[in-house]
Amino acid sequence: MKIHVYAALKEHFDPEFELKETVHNTDELKACLQEINADAAELLKSCRFAVEEGFIDNAYKLKDNDTVVIIPPSSGG
Amino acid sequence: MIRSSSSLPAAADKPAVFISPDPLDIAALLKEAHHPGAGGLVLFSGEVRDNNRGRAVAHLEYEAHEALASQLIEEILKAAIEKWGLQIAVACHRTGKVAIGETAVVVITASAHRSEAYAANKYIIDRIKHEAPIWKCEYYIDGSHEWGNNCNCQAITGDLTKHIYDA
Repeated sequence: MKIHVYAALKEHFDPEFELKETVHNTDELKACLQEINADAAELLKSCRFAVEEGFIDNAYKLKDNDTVVIIPPSSGG
Repeated sequence: MIRSSSSLPAAADKPAVFISPDPLDIAALLKEAHHPGAGGLVLFSGEVRDNNRGRAVAHLEYEAHEALASQLIEEILKAAIEKWGLQIAVACHRTGKVAIGETAVVVITASAHRSEAYAANKYIIDRIKHEAPIWKCEYYIDGSHEWGNNCNCQAITGDLTKHIYDA
């Protein structure tokens, strides 16, 4: 599974990387990424996820060939 | 730019640009945003200021997921047009380095009367800033930088998809 991260998440992960572990949904993906880098745990809690140019929630069944975009909170203000 | 169904046909030829790596030409956007059916036009320019939370800011850098951000901004504009019956709705956000005093985001709304144009303009900028995948990194005069001052509505609403203005 390919992972793309943006903004503050780039302080914790490479902008694009391959995840070898199999995960089935966004909760599992979050837990897996928290294990890889515990410093990102708090930020990951407030991130949204997208595949194929559309936002997904935990009900979406992730596939090994998905490219998952991890979206931190927007700029706000 | 998105025009309502009562729009002038000429604008339909131009593809709307919602994310721009280049400086935003407010005068040019304004020039194209006039409509004979609109008696009120509101232009909001979000500009980079030289300080934030007591720290001297040198400049900002914006990053976006361009496809998702463009898709979402277009949806927001269409929702505003429908909700307030706007004649014109325009929004464009910068990416890349934006200097102090430059425009980071512009929103233009035009409607028959000013109250709808004001309300719709606030709705659009609130949703863009809280929902669009666009991020700001502040670069300070002391050479440090920080991603931040982000939407933290989840702490209040308890839901990633619910924002303070939804209440």
